[in-house]
Amino acid sequence: MEDHFIENLAWAALLLPLLAAVAITLGARRAAARLSIGAVTLSFLATLGLFLYLKLSGQTSLAQNSLPWLTIGHFGTPHYLQLSLGVQLDTLSLMMMLVVTGVGLLIHIYSQGYLAGDEGYSRFFACLSLFTFSMLGIVLADNFVMLFIFWELVGVSSYLLIGFWYNKASAADACKKAFLTNRIGDFGFLLGILLVWSTLGAIDFASLKLEINHGGHFAPVATMAGLLIFCGAVGKSAQFPLHVWLPDAMEGPTPVSALIHAATMVAAGVYMLCRVYFLLAAEGSHALEVIAWIGGGTSLLAALIAVQQNDIKRILAYSTLSQLGYMVMAVGTHGPTAAMYHLTTHAFFKALLFLGAGAVIYALHHEQDIWKMGGLRKQLPVTYWTFLVGTLALCGVVPFSGFYSKDSILAQTLKDGSYGLFTIGVVVAALTTFYMARLALVVFGGAARSAAAQHPHEAPPVMLWPLRILAVPSVIGGWIFIEATFAHFFAGAHGAVGHAAEAGGWGEQLLEPFNASPAAAFAGLFAIIVGGALAGGLYWNAATDPLPRRLGFLSRAMANRFYFDELYERVLIPCTHELLAKIAAFLDRWIIGGLAVRGSAGATEFAGRALRLVQSGSLQTYAFLLVGGVAVVIYFLLAR
Amino acid sequence: MLTYLIFLPLLTGLLLCLVPRNYGFFMRLAALAATGVTMLLAVALFLQFDGAPLGPSHAFKFEQQIPWIPALGISYHVGVDGVNIGLILMGAIVAFAATCCAWEIRSREKEFYILLLLMTGGILAAFCSLDLFLFYFAHELALVPTFIMIGVWGRGSDKNLATFQITLYLSLGALVALAGLIALYLRAGAHSFDLVTLMQAAAKQPLPDADQKLIFPLLFLGFGVLISLWPFHTWAPLGYGSAPTPTAMLHAGVLKKFGLYGLIRIALPLLPHAAQAWAGTIAWLCLGNLVYCGFVAMRQKNLNWVIGYSSVAHMGFVFLGIASLNLIGVSGAILVMIAHGFLAALSFGLSGYLEQTTGTLEINEMGGLLRRLPFLGSALLLALFAGCGLPGFANFAGEVTVFFGAWKQFPVVTVLGVWAALVIGGVYMLRAVRGILHGPVPARFAAVQESDWPLRPLPYVLLILPLLLFGFRPSLLTDKIWPAAQSVLAVVTPADAAPPPGPTGPPKTKPARLVEHQP
Repeated sequence: MEDHFIENLAWAALLLPLLAAVAITLGARRAAARLSIGAVTLSFLATLGLFLYLKLSGQTSLAQNSLPWLTIGHFGTPHYLQLSLGVQLDTLSLMMMLVVTGVGLLIHIYSQGYLAGDEGYSRFFACLSLFTFSMLGIVLADNFVMLFIFWELVGVSSYLLIGFWYNKASAADACKKAFLTNRIGDFGFLLGILLVWSTLGAIDFASLKLEINHGGHFAPVATMAGLLIFCGAVGKSAQFPLHVWLPDAMEGPTPVSALIHAATMVAAGVYMLCRVYFLLAAEGSHALEVIAWIGGGTSLLAALIAVQQNDIKRILAYSTLSQLGYMVMAVGTHGPTAAMYHLTTHAFFKALLFLGAGAVIYALHHEQDIWKMGGLRKQLPVTYWTFLVGTLALCGVVPFSGFYSKDSILAQTLKDGSYGLFTIGVVVAALTTFYMARLALVVFGGAARSAAAQHPHEAPPVMLWPLRILAVPSVIGGWIFIEATFAHFFAGAHGAVGHAAEAGGWGEQLLEPFNASPAAAFAGLFAIIVGGALAGGLYWNAATDPLPRRLGFLSRAMANRFYFDELYERVLIPCTHELLAKIAAFLDRWIIGGLAVRGSAGATEFAGRALRLVQSGSLQTYAFLLVGGVAVVIYFLLAR
Repeated sequence: MLTYLIFLPLLTGLLLCLVPRNYGFFMRLAALAATGVTMLLAVALFLQFDGAPLGPSHAFKFEQQIPWIPALGISYHVGVDGVNIGLILMGAIVAFAATCCAWEIRSREKEFYILLLLMTGGILAAFCSLDLFLFYFAHELALVPTFIMIGVWGRGSDKNLATFQITLYLSLGALVALAGLIALYLRAGAHSFDLVTLMQAAAKQPLPDADQKLIFPLLFLGFGVLISLWPFHTWAPLGYGSAPTPTAMLHAGVLKKFGLYGLIRIALPLLPHAAQAWAGTIAWLCLGNLVYCGFVAMRQKNLNWVIGYSSVAHMGFVFLGIASLNLIGVSGAILVMIAHGFLAALSFGLSGYLEQTTGTLEINEMGGLLRRLPFLGSALLLALFAGCGLPGFANFAGEVTVFFGAWKQFPVVTVLGVWAALVIGGVYMLRAVRGILHGPVPARFAAVQESDWPLRPLPYVLLILPLLLFGFRPSLLTDKIWPAAQSVLAVVTPADAAPPPGPTGPPKTKPARLVEHQP
């Protein structure tokens, strides 16, 4: 009885946003925002209820149930396939759902203000609800195929949202690029699923875990399978080399950027890696090493690029890339706890930063170049203070939440003995502080650099309250036992206990990093001081960016994203896909379509005059003859 | 039941011959009524059909047999099982939708509607038939009108070339297949065209391998041409580009499935050894469809050609499923056939509507039309997304099942097939979206508007609904399909038909824990 109620509650949390999306699409235009917000609120409350129930029951997972979606064959025969849709309720999925629905709810509310008066207002909320539904599906999925289904749905809902202003050429290009880049990752992901299925004979996580723990025949393909599945995360979480879509995705409305970058979509990749961590860490697998270095490389690359961007949203976009690199690196260094911890705190402060950036853009009538801003500290006080909180959290200043989660990752690299990755992590921390300080100083400090920046108007309360609310967890996220919760879950599952697992009260939580891994904590703080000091020296009251002059080519390369987009668009794609397409089209037109068809027509003519008569004659005659031919054949047979 | 289904459109067509030609509107109504009732009958049939596993011999329901040409062992023998029930439903819905879209035909309506009704009857008869001769006869009955329709009511400047090519190609293909069928008749020694009789004979004693090796290529190549198997596919995009919209919908959606249906229904159970010998070849040939035609689709500038090539490419999934010769693959192939029928009809129906609205199908000339044409644009967006295998549409369920079925036998082909499905398909579909629906609106389309007639969206909605329904609940189809597919495969791979082994060996695919929670 109780179990049924819980399952139904979980299904309701998943399906409500879908219902809202369908209702809006079918005509409830007027109530779009109310429906959408109502659905996500109910989802949030349902999740909260489930989470409290889980906490009180003291377990790490609740009953799960699954409905067959597609069944072929008799159970037990070699050709049996059952794909099902099931919800998995455990600490991991419920924490993630809290983040998705909680942060999502605030973004929904904010959008009411940001999108007010837009022509596609109701369409926006329909897409937003669809997006929430897809993301919740990923989080709740208890098997690979369901995960893949919702994975694709997240892809398409992000396509719709990034291309929300589809009449703008740049937005239309950006959504296409995002979808296709993701599809390349999904290619590997689906192959990985097929490989796992054919080796272990299952697709649901619980059975897979059992199979792998029993050892056996997985080891030879473990690395391959792990890397193929990681491909999916590379696409969705925008890791190198598929990172190019994320900054372009800034073409969507700012609340969408906040949603994609903070709580959903890009987080899905990291979440998936943590969900199937048992598979990546299976005996005989070397996938984690590759994953760690891809993550570390991405975080460094993106941080370097962010240093020389001038668009406020693009700076934040590259910062997201860099932070995702951190999380992936944490997974790779055997630290899913640290990865999920950082994912959670990052969701709070990155949503805050994006919504803050949105408030700035709104105030300046859609100006996004930071060098046309300036001096906004006094005119936009709420935005300023909340943005500052977000910045400090992202940089990792004590006692903001970012410090604790980032420290957890750095400590994890040390614990894993990956000193190279630890160094990268510290350098990235310094770079993060540098570019974020640059952003904050240029936008809010100094004097106004354009007419628009002289008379901004603060956003309406419906946009400011989400900022205020998000600022709270951005500050306290580090000492409210988030890490302990995840550590408890992963400890039960994998024996990888994070260093905060046994932490006592709030006070101990506050000082915990300095006790557990002082080297990591002090290195992180040192990096912040270096980065902050450098940025302060260069950008305090600066009118223009001094770096291009000082760095020369390096600065240009950073500003141009190290020419990856150019490499892909001018070299890689034309030399592979486009070239093959050209060859195929040529062959089809001139060889198969030309020679073969005309040749066969010629041969027919050559074969007999009768047929040529038919070809030049009327079509009806020909059709008649065809049926006649059948009759002749029958006559022949009858006569025999 | 089946006979009503088949003869309602045929007889209506014959009756229309008696109506004077200036009663155009009446004829349209009569055709709509006939196909509409047929569609309702098909839905009723689908709902009545329960997919419970069947005995090995009496595999068919709603069976009816009337001797036709007893001297040859030809009879009017119809019946349904899980293989064709979905195809009949699909064919009937597409036929009604195509009749709705025949609105664009404004000349010689009488002949057009008669041909359309003949086609509809032929389609349903072909899918219902359990007699090789009836199958072939019905197929020709449906096929020949397409040639005439393209020739008389066709669109564009290439109409004559298209008529010539499609007629030549498909007639040759049909004749080769006919030769195969007759050879089968002669060699089987049962002196019967009856499929059930032949299957029973084959179950007792299969054809000698030498005969199988002779006949299978004939059937495969003959049917292959009809299905636009690479490299015999060039008629398809040209023909669809020139055909009037209802014809393109019916042909791409339904007629093209005849060949596949023939392969599954006739070639697999009657020629099992040859099928096994050819499986590898079929698997590699399907890449010609999936990858090669996908690449060609990327270069097309006309929407009809993009859809045409993509529809050729999608046939590759079906070939791959058939080539895998196992239950999962073949069931997936049938699922793709049904899904693609709805999808191809939807795509061509929408492109026809688009051409009537804008006067062009050149992708480069259009842009931003989603804003100007909200219903048409959204429906086209759905169709194109279904075409690149988005979950939620029946196509995804079919394609992913095919991949699961083919993975173990043909890993390399499957890898390339997955690339074609996810990446190549995505590229050409999204290019079409970007060119037609997204981007700035060109000045010439600033005032373009879609029809405000409230029933205009009906045919498209009718085609989208089953795509979504079977996309969300594929088990509605697969539960019916797989028991029938199993009996088809019983001869090819006897392992599949074996009763489930007892509790020997650990159950690998399903943990006990999951079973407990199921109601």
